[in-house]
Amino acid sequence: MTTARAHRRKATAAAIAAVLAIAGAAGCSSKAKDKDDGKAGAGGVKTGVGVTDKTIKLGALTDMTGVYATLGKSVTQAQQLYVKQTNAAGGICGRKLELTVRDHGYDPQKAVAGYTELEPEVLGFAQFIGSPFVASVKQRIDADKPLVLPQAWSASLLGSPYVRVLGSTYDIETINAIDFLMKEKGVKKGDKIGHVYFEGDYGENALSGSKYMAEQNDLTVVEQKIKPTDNDMTAQVAALKKAGVKAIVISAGPRQAASLVGVAAAGGMKVPIIGNNSAYAPQLLATQAAPALEAMYFVSTPSLPIGDDAEGPSKLAGDYAAAYPKDALDNGVVAGWTAATTMGEALKRACESKDLTREGVDKALLTIKDWDAGFGVHNFTDPNAPSSLESVIIKPDKAAKGGSSVVREAEVSEAAQGFKRS
Amino acid sequence: MSDVLTKPAPEVPPVAPKRKLPGPRLYVWIAGCVLLIVLPFYLERFWLQAGLFAMAAAIGAIGLNLLTGATGQLSMGHAFFLAVGAYGYCAFAGNGDDGLTGLGLPTGIAMILGVGLAGIAGGVFSPIAGRLRGAYLGIATLALIFIGQHVLFNAHDLTGGFNGRDVPSLNLFGLHFDDSELLVAGVPFGASEKLWYLGLVLLAAGGLFARGVLRGRPGRAMNAIRDHQIAAGVMGVPVARYRASVFVLSSMYAGLAGVLLAMVFQRTVPEYFGMVLSLEYLAMIVIGGLGSVSGAVVGAVFVSLLPQILTRYSDSLPLVSDAGTGGVSPGEAAKYLYGAALVAVVLFLPGGLVRLAARRSKATPGEPSGSEGNDR
Amino acid sequence: MTTFIELLLNGVSMGSVYALIALGFVVIFKATEVVNFAHASLLLAGGYVTAVLHEDIGFWPALIVGIAGAALVGAAIEFLVMRRYRGKDHSVLAIATIGVDILLVTDLTRRIGTDVLAVGDPWGDSLLEIGPVTIAHTRIAAFLAAGLLITAFLLAFRYTSWGVAMRAAAENAETAALMGIRLGRVSLGAWAVAGGLAAVAALFLTVFPTPGLERATSLAALKAFPAAILGGLDSTTGALVGGLIVGVTESLATGYQSDLTFLGRGLGELAPYLVMVAILLVRPAGLFGTKELARV
Repeated sequence: MTTARAHRRKATAAAIAAVLAIAGAAGCSSKAKDKDDGKAGAGGVKTGVGVTDKTIKLGALTDMTGVYATLGKSVTQAQQLYVKQTNAAGGICGRKLELTVRDHGYDPQKAVAGYTELEPEVLGFAQFIGSPFVASVKQRIDADKPLVLPQAWSASLLGSPYVRVLGSTYDIETINAIDFLMKEKGVKKGDKIGHVYFEGDYGENALSGSKYMAEQNDLTVVEQKIKPTDNDMTAQVAALKKAGVKAIVISAGPRQAASLVGVAAAGGMKVPIIGNNSAYAPQLLATQAAPALEAMYFVSTPSLPIGDDAEGPSKLAGDYAAAYPKDALDNGVVAGWTAATTMGEALKRACESKDLTREGVDKALLTIKDWDAGFGVHNFTDPNAPSSLESVIIKPDKAAKGGSSVVREAEVSEAAQGFKRS
Repeated sequence: MSDVLTKPAPEVPPVAPKRKLPGPRLYVWIAGCVLLIVLPFYLERFWLQAGLFAMAAAIGAIGLNLLTGATGQLSMGHAFFLAVGAYGYCAFAGNGDDGLTGLGLPTGIAMILGVGLAGIAGGVFSPIAGRLRGAYLGIATLALIFIGQHVLFNAHDLTGGFNGRDVPSLNLFGLHFDDSELLVAGVPFGASEKLWYLGLVLLAAGGLFARGVLRGRPGRAMNAIRDHQIAAGVMGVPVARYRASVFVLSSMYAGLAGVLLAMVFQRTVPEYFGMVLSLEYLAMIVIGGLGSVSGAVVGAVFVSLLPQILTRYSDSLPLVSDAGTGGVSPGEAAKYLYGAALVAVVLFLPGGLVRLAARRSKATPGEPSGSEGNDR
Repeated sequence: MTTFIELLLNGVSMGSVYALIALGFVVIFKATEVVNFAHASLLLAGGYVTAVLHEDIGFWPALIVGIAGAALVGAAIEFLVMRRYRGKDHSVLAIATIGVDILLVTDLTRRIGTDVLAVGDPWGDSLLEIGPVTIAHTRIAAFLAAGLLITAFLLAFRYTSWGVAMRAAAENAETAALMGIRLGRVSLGAWAVAGGLAAVAALFLTVFPTPGLERATSLAALKAFPAAILGGLDSTTGALVGGLIVGVTESLATGYQSDLTFLGRGLGELAPYLVMVAILLVRPAGLFGTKELARV
C-alpha cells in the first residue's frame, strides 16, 4: 500500500465518520434522561409518548412484501381509511391521528428494528403482523407498555395487558368450527377428522383446538403438517382419504385451502372442509378451484364477513371500495378496521378520563365490555382471554360482495366456553 | 466500524515495503475509535441496534470470507452455523425456567461454548465438505439450511419451536448486558448501548485475528488452495487439513455472530435463520470484497444498513413511497438496490467496494483477489 | 397399496417437472460452468407471461409467448450479465446470479402483488381413474410434456450442430473455440433453452392441484437444486433421474408423514436434501456426474 492510497482511504473514512457523527448528533440532540410522562396537555389531558396537543401518533408494523402481504395490505389500507375518516370528523380528543407504517416483509430483523424505531415515537401499535415477532419483543412491550394489537389470533399472545388479541383465537375458532361440523354437517362421535395445518404458531394453536374437541367428543384427529411453501395438497388428500376421515379442518393459507378442496372434490372425496379465517381469500374465486370451494368449503372467522348486509360491513365495504377501487375486499379489511376502531375507542375513553398516556390507554381498554364494533361483540376486561369467543361460519360465495356469505351467525359453542388452555 | 476501514487491506503481502507517515494515519485511527466509542451517547436505540446488526453481520461475514473468499469454498449454509451459535448460547445459559432445555451455566462461559458448538457443527460437516468442490459444496451446504430449519421448528424442548426462545442476557464480571439502566455521564445505558461496546470488542478481536490468519502462512496456503488446489498440494500445503480447519474456523465466526445477534434480538426465532440470510452473507462478501477482512466489514455494513436507512427515510426519498401507498415500497427498493449492487460489483468492480478507493489512487494491479482466482 | 401407487405416480409426475427445471440448470452449467441461482426468476417470468396473456390470446398462444419470454429473459441475463464478467471465478459469477434473481423476483412479485393468477389451462380438475387409482390429467400432461421435451432435448444434444457445439464447449472450452465454435452463441443458447424449460415447468407448477401462479411459485426452483446435484451437475441423464428421485421422495415423505412422526412432521421439504447428502457422501460428483479429472 502506498502512502497516497493510504491517505485517501483514511480521508474517506474520516469523512464518513464525520458525517455519521453529525447525523448522530443532529438526530438526537440529547439522550439524557427525560421522561415526559404525565405532562398535562391541551384540554387538561395528561399526555405521554406519542401524543402532542395536536396529534396522536400510532404505529403499524405490517408485512406488505413478505408471506403475509395479502393480509398486510388490506389491514393497513383499512386502518389508513379509519385514520382519514376519523381525522375528517375532527380527530380524537381534539387531536389528529397519525399512523406510521413500517413494512417488515416478515423478516425478524426488520420487525424488531421497526419496533425499536417506532416505539419511542408512538402511543401504541394498531397493527403488528407476525406472532413470532410480537413474541420476540414481548419483554420490551411489557417494559415500555404501549398498547399492541397484533394481527394474529394465536393463544400464545394472550396474557399480557398490553398485547390484546382481537376476536377469538385460532384454538377457539377451530373448536367452533368442529362444533359446526358436528351439529350441522353430520360428523359423529367416534369419527375421524383430518387436520391439515401449518408448521408454526397459527397451525399448532389451531391443532390444540381440534385435539381438545377430539377428547371431548371421542373423535380421532389425523394430523398433516405442511409448510407455507407447499402448494400441492395431493399427498395430504391421499393420506386423509386412506385414513377415512369424515371431515377436514385446514389451518393454512388460502392457496393450500384451494388446493386441498380442489383435489378432494376432483377425487370424489365429498367431505365438508372448514378452514380458519386465514385460510380463505376472495382471490381464490378467480381460480379453477372456485366451484369446489363454493360447494364444500366453510370458514370459521371471528367477525362478520365484509360482504354482510349488516350496517357495519356494508358501510365499510362501500367506503373501502371507494378509497381503494382496485383492491380486493377481504376479511383483512375487517380485521384492520376492527383493530383501528378498538384503538380509537380506547383512545376516546382514555380522553374522557383525561389520561392519554400509555397507562391511561391500557386502563381505558380494560373498561371496554360488550362493545360492538359493527362486526362482532368484544370484551377487553380480561387480558388472559381473547376479546371474544364467537365465531361466524361463512362460505365462499361468488355472488356476494367480498366473496363470502354467512352460514351460521356468530355463536359461542359450549365447547368453546368450557375450553381451558393448559 | 470505520476504524476497520482504516486498516490496510490484508491482501497486501506483508513483505511489501511500507513507507507510511504515522501522523495522519494515527490521527484518523484515533478519530475513528473515539467516534465509535462516543456514538452510544448520542445515537438513539434504533441506530445502535442497526449498528449492532451490522457488527454481528460483519463478524459472520469475516468468517464466510475466510472460507469462500480466501479459500474458495462456496458455502450457502452459513445461516445454519449462526443458528447453532445463537441457540447453543441460549441452551447453555438458559436456566430452564421457561420449560426449555437449559444448563444454567454462567453466560460468559455459555457464550464461549456456543461459539465452540458452532465450530463442532462445522467439524462434523467438514468430512462431507472435504469431499465436495465448487457448486457441489455450495448446494450440499444448502441442505444444512433445510436441516436446520426442520430441527429449529421441531425440536421444541431445545429451540422453543416456531416462537423461539428467550435469550438470557449476558453478565460479565458483574456487568449486566440487559435493559436495566446504567447511568453513564447522565445518559441511561440500556441493552443496546452496553452491547455496542461488546460488539466493538468482539468485532475488533475477530477482525484482527482473521487478519493475522490471512496475512500469515495460513492465509497464503488458503489462497493457494483457492487459486489452484492441486498445485497447492504439490507445493506441500496440507489441503484437506486446511480446508477442514477453515470450515471449522468459519463456523465459529458464524457462531459468534449468532450469539451476538441473539443478544441483540433478546429472543431467537427460527424464521431468521433461513436461506435468505445465507444469501445475504454471500452478497456481503462479494459487495465488500472477497478474501479480506475490510471487505467483509464494508459489505456487512452496506447490506445490513441499506434496508434500515431506506425504511427510515422512505418519506423523504424520491421514487420510494411509504408503505401502503402503492408505489415501490422501501423494502422493495432495498431489494432492488442490493440486487443491482451485487451484479454491478461483480461486473464492474472486481474486488468489491474496498477496492474502490484503492483503485482510484493507484493503477497498479493488486494481488489476485478471489474474483480473479481460478477455481480449478 | 392404492395410496402408495397414487403417491408414486404423483411423485413421478412432479419429479418430471423438477427434471425440466434441473435440466435447464445442467445445460447452463455445462455450457458456462456457472451455477444459476436465478433459475427461480426464469420460472416466475415464464409463468407470469402465460398467466397474464391467456385471457386475451388464449392458452396455447399465451404458453408459447410465455416460453419465448422466459427464453428471452434467460438470453438477456447471459448477454447483459454473464458475458460482461471478466474474471475467471465461476462461484463469483454464481453469486452474481443471486443478484439477478433478487432483482427479477422482486420486480415480478411486485407485479403479481397479492393475486393468485390462473393460467387458464385446458385440463382443469379432471381426473383419470384406473381401477382404484386416480390421477389428475394435469399430472399426466406434465409427465408427457416433460418426457417429450427431455427426449427432444437429448436428441438435439446428440445430433444437431448446436448440441455438438455445446458438448464440445463443455468438454474443453478453449479447444472448442479454436475449432471455430462460437462460445458466446453456445452459452446464449443454453440460457435461452433453460428459460424455455423453466417456463414449461412453471405451467405445470401452477395448474391443478395448485391454485395458480403467485409470489411463492418461484420457490419450486429450490427443489431443482438437489435434483441437479444428486444426478450430477454436468449430466443431462442425471437431471432426469435426479428430478424423479426428488419428486418421489418428496411425495412419499409427505404421504407417509404420519408414520414417520419420530422425525418430526413436515418432512416433505427436507427429504430430498437428505437423500442428496446421502448420495453425495458415496458419490461426490452425483450419480452420473463425471468425476473431475485434475489437470495441472
